[in-house]
Amino acid sequence: MSNVLVFLALLLCGWFFGRRAEKRHYKSIIERELEFNALPAIASRIPPADAAYDQQLVAGSTVVSSDYFKSITAAMINIFGGEVKPFEALIDRARRESILRMKAEAKAVGADMVFNIKMETSQIAAGRTGAIEVLAYGTALIPRNTVKFSNTNAAMSV
Amino acid sequence: MKYENRQPEEGINVSKGSPVKAFLQLVISTALLLAVSVFFLYLSGAWLAKKIPFRYEEAIMEKIDVDFGSQETDQDIREYLNELSARIAVHLPNPDEVSYTVHYEPEDVFNAYATIGGNIVFYKGLIKQLPNENALAMVMAHEMAHVSHRDPVAGLGGGVASAVALSTVFGSSGSQYASTFINGAGGLTAVQFTRKMENNADDAAILAVSKLYGHTVGADSLFRHIDEKREQSSKPDWLARFSSTHPLDSDRVENIKAKTLELELPTTGETTPLPGLW
Repeated sequence: MSNVLVFLALLLCGWFFGRRAEKRHYKSIIERELEFNALPAIASRIPPADAAYDQQLVAGSTVVSSDYFKSITAAMINIFGGEVKPFEALIDRARRESILRMKAEAKAVGADMVFNIKMETSQIAAGRTGAIEVLAYGTALIPRNTVKFSNTNAAMSV
Repeated sequence: MKYENRQPEEGINVSKGSPVKAFLQLVISTALLLAVSVFFLYLSGAWLAKKIPFRYEEAIMEKIDVDFGSQETDQDIREYLNELSARIAVHLPNPDEVSYTVHYEPEDVFNAYATIGGNIVFYKGLIKQLPNENALAMVMAHEMAHVSHRDPVAGLGGGVASAVALSTVFGSSGSQYASTFINGAGGLTAVQFTRKMENNADDAAILAVSKLYGHTVGADSLFRHIDEKREQSSKPDWLARFSSTHPLDSDRVENIKAKTLELELPTTGETTPLPGLW
């Protein structure tokens, strides 16, 4: 009986805190996206030819973990198959957060835009916590002679 | 060329719908799947296990050398119990190979059980509560009927078959507490079988007791006694009926009464006193 109660308590905590964290995170993501839209992240590999830019690698990484409610729901979906909807919002948040962090780094080095952006995911502590990392990286295009030093990356001075 | 990032609409990469509703639908589907799987696995495991010859059961019990209480003390009680079981055995539908060994545990535990190899264990705590030999014979005939129906080995076979299959399918899909839920749902299905076994054992036992003493007086006194003494359970009757491995004591008294009427067994006569060895 105590096991059942612990199980229900974990489910309820997972649902309540997971839902609250998701709402707060989306609110913050949308606010920052509107702010960072002025610094476009473009998938194209060919930078604009109309100006001279310095280039620098910028990256943004986010590690997210599932909550108990999502994990149990996903485990049951695993039996029957189908879309694992509980994880969609989690991955969407991680992806958008990583791009925002990458843009924040680009802004810190004085870039106008980020080109050739790519994304990668990797599983962390598989089977135990169900956490994944989403990494976004790209080439920051910095108008010549405005190279700054970011907190994390040393940019070449020209 | 102008480069820009426009703000897309929300919800493109995230499906809409209530997660709680989806969760409840999944719980119901999983529970149904479990119930159906355990139903068939338990039935087939039990059916297969009953095909194992009884001598194999005896050989296994000899090999694992289970301790059923001291063999040195309480010699007279064990002799009396085995002598009573021999008297009952002739009135039970005995498959050829089945034999019974009654053990006595001088502990204050209110229980008696039958296990594989025809071993039946009586606890002092139970025998002390019995008002006469007729009641003791009823409990013993009930346990012997389990052995004669091959219920212990069937329960073991059904339990092992469903546990192995469930852990193979569901084992990796959840953590410790999710396994608790899965085992609980599977367990609830399995107890539906054990209750049927209990009822069948009661039916065989009342017939044997009636043949042994010429009447059924006193046979149901143990269950009456427990039912009267039992503290009011917090579970409603329908839930207790569904979740318990045994039928409710009040239901057993009714079942025994119904069987007595159905077979027109004699309901008057003198009860036989217990020898007072304990």
